[in-house]
Amino acid sequence: MSTLLQTHKIYRSLTGRLTRSTLRPQTSAYRLGALVAGLSLFLTTSCGKSTPPGGGTGSDRLVIGTTAKFRTLDPADSYEVFSGNLLYNLGDRLYDYEPGSGKLKPKLATALPKVSEDGLMYTIPLHKGVKFHDGTPFDAKAMAFSLERFIANGGNPAGLLSDPVKSVQATGNLELTITLKKPFAAFPNLLAFSGLVAVSPKTYKKGAGQFLPNQFVGTGPYKLVKVGGDSIRLEVFEDYWDTKPTNKGINIQIFSSPANLFNAFRTGSIDVAYQSLDPDQIQALENDAKKGDWQAISGPSNFITFLMLNTKDEALSNVKVRQALAAMINRDVLNNRVFRGQAESLYTLVPTIFKGISQPVFKEQQQKLGKDQIRSLLKDSGYSPGKPLKLNLWYRSNLTSDGVAAATIKAMVGQGYSDVVQLEVNSVDSATAYQNLDKGTYPMFMLDWAGDYYDPDTYLQPFLACEKGSVKTGCQKGQSQSWGSFFYSDRANKLIDQQRQIRDPKLRLKPLTELQAILAKDVPYIPLWQKKDYVFAQKGIKGIQLQPSQQFPFWTLSK
Amino acid sequence: MSRIRALQYYVLSRLLLAPLMVWTITTVVFLLLRATPGDPVDAILGPRAPEEQKALVRQQLGLGDPIWVQYLHYLGNLLSLNLGTSLSSRGQTVWDIIRDFFPATAELAIFSMAIALIIGVGVGILSASKPNTPLDAAGRIFGIITYSVPLFWVGMLFQLIFSVQLGWFPLGTRFPVTSLPPTGMTGLFTVDSLLSGDFGAFGMSLYYLALPCFSLGLVLSGIFERIVRVNLKQTLKADYVEAARARGIPERRVLLVHALRNALIPVVTVLGLTLAAMLGGAVLTEVTFSWPGLGNRLYEAISMRDYPTVQGIIVFFAVIVVIASIAIDIINAYIDPRIRY
Repeated sequence: MSTLLQTHKIYRSLTGRLTRSTLRPQTSAYRLGALVAGLSLFLTTSCGKSTPPGGGTGSDRLVIGTTAKFRTLDPADSYEVFSGNLLYNLGDRLYDYEPGSGKLKPKLATALPKVSEDGLMYTIPLHKGVKFHDGTPFDAKAMAFSLERFIANGGNPAGLLSDPVKSVQATGNLELTITLKKPFAAFPNLLAFSGLVAVSPKTYKKGAGQFLPNQFVGTGPYKLVKVGGDSIRLEVFEDYWDTKPTNKGINIQIFSSPANLFNAFRTGSIDVAYQSLDPDQIQALENDAKKGDWQAISGPSNFITFLMLNTKDEALSNVKVRQALAAMINRDVLNNRVFRGQAESLYTLVPTIFKGISQPVFKEQQQKLGKDQIRSLLKDSGYSPGKPLKLNLWYRSNLTSDGVAAATIKAMVGQGYSDVVQLEVNSVDSATAYQNLDKGTYPMFMLDWAGDYYDPDTYLQPFLACEKGSVKTGCQKGQSQSWGSFFYSDRANKLIDQQRQIRDPKLRLKPLTELQAILAKDVPYIPLWQKKDYVFAQKGIKGIQLQPSQQFPFWTLSK
Repeated sequence: MSRIRALQYYVLSRLLLAPLMVWTITTVVFLLLRATPGDPVDAILGPRAPEEQKALVRQQLGLGDPIWVQYLHYLGNLLSLNLGTSLSSRGQTVWDIIRDFFPATAELAIFSMAIALIIGVGVGILSASKPNTPLDAAGRIFGIITYSVPLFWVGMLFQLIFSVQLGWFPLGTRFPVTSLPPTGMTGLFTVDSLLSGDFGAFGMSLYYLALPCFSLGLVLSGIFERIVRVNLKQTLKADYVEAARARGIPERRVLLVHALRNALIPVVTVLGLTLAAMLGGAVLTEVTFSWPGLGNRLYEAISMRDYPTVQGIIVFFAVIVVIASIAIDIINAYIDPRIRY
């Protein structure tokens, strides 16, 4: 009411004066200024400046700011990191990870699965007393429905489950049996994939294309209340069966640019800034965090960037050329110049979060080569100052950091080998790139990848496996063909199958190590860097945990 | 033929041409989208999706049909006002997207235009009323600067000054995310809050609108300042203005009542077209201020090759522009007796 009165007073005072006096330019200018100033004053005073704009830190709810966009929240169609994080907080999967580690723990399941001798049948006991957000009781039928729907609806990630799974059956009220087509040791880890959440059979429908992009009805600690154009509202689920959130609810504000996210965090409009800020902004926030202005939490992520080399390309079909290129790239320089140390140099496709499994094979093989040895590799391949190697490096035009990295690689190559290698850098939009990758259009492409589940398998099989092909023809159908690398190796295929069958981690290490050695020897891809994950939080925020699987639990946050 | 009758014929002919204009625009958009490189299925599923899955999605979305079949489907749907379903957010209709995002764009456009008019017309009058004085020079400089300065720069500068440094205004969004926004039939928070009598929400909506609207309004005011100044100066030299002065009518009345009314005729044209363009998505403003409008959503849809969403939003924009241009023509024809039709 006071706001209205104030408006009325300002309006009357301004209009009153205008009608009483004659129009003189000088005084009119003042009035115009007074009108604008008055309006600003009204807006500022009426809405209050004492609480931070947006109510972030001033509210008992938590506000998380991000620039990540989401396409859909339907678990059967969602495949992006951010929507995966939302599903992680809205729903429950059969299995989850221990905080801060990659150790699997039961969630909707009560124990780790019983696996049949042949490694094909997984029997999973389920929790009782779990309810969906719409009040429907959770049981094995509901879980079977959720997994079957994930496959049947043909959404973006459907292949993750349809490839290994033969059938899903409720073999008891609280017992689920999943039968696989082939043994797959990492299968329990796959069951922790964010999209494999239980969804209410009352709300969702099974059938191709039957998606609900802006709804979610699961069993998780939060209920999805509202999806707006730039905001998402999560409320605590009061009937949650497990430990309830330590906060009163979460609001997610989506910003259109990192600059807006950065500024909003600095002004205190949001409590937490998560994904994605530019390197200089991260550096500035980290510096201020050291002074105690706020908190900066970082950790390794499962997000890797690599160069895909087309092994069917005229020049790159020669393994010595690929090896020479891998040896020319100084990853530490890339990390410092492009990311200001906010990434880790990557010397294999398996990120360093898999300690003991990730082997720095490129460091051991290529990085040790001297200039003369690199030149010798190129000379052996028929390239010389008179006949330089000409190559095009492509990257996606919407990724600024990839552009800078590509230019830096070009400079690296130019610095020591400009007489024998001519590298051109080109960009193309993502949609066009994805359409043409598997057609072999690009000789070299800078790409990235985040594993679907917490297991090294998801960093090797999707790159090195091939269903159909030969060493001579290259991969004609399969994973390496989809990236545009066309790499084919009988040994790699065999090792991939082998490691998928071994459930003992110690025994599994051997094929995983050999696969990485093949990667370094044949160089169908050049690993470049592994990004670090950053969360910035205002001073009073507690309970921030960054999972190595790039999942961010909201329920532990409080202030 | 009487003037009213002629005007009716004119209106009718403009209305009959409107569907042709919309059809032309929609056909061009349909063809251009298909000529653009990049398969929507690849954009949605990513490079690693199995061929079988891509084929299934392509079939589900009707993308496997010949282009003319797709076109006929599209036109058929359009005639029944069915804009289709989003390819990227599968399950969401394009009307849902327009309903969710357009109010933000409309609110931003209307308030920005009001600010642009107040500032632009005000400065234009001041400038024209004192020709060749320092005030006139200042007005001209103001017009040139605001006309030429890029919006994203002004937006970022204002954000830095008024949000980050002074902390006067919030950054991004239309309403505090921790509060539930006003709901109502229009989707315009200011209008809905007033209709529901929630003046606190009204003030808050204005507070969140202030900075983006003022930035956009300031940049647009240059256009109006220049038009008003030039036309008003010209009109003030007219014989009928001299006659009015000779009759002893006060200068203020001569300026505001006699001269300004005629000088504002071109402003109506520019106002209508600018408003239509802004309703068609002020993409730069929306991105700069993280404003959840339809322009921002269109940009995302283009990058995802989301054909139905892009087509639907552009058809919607095209209809707005067509309606706005017809309205301008009619208003101009009505207020300016010199116009023949």
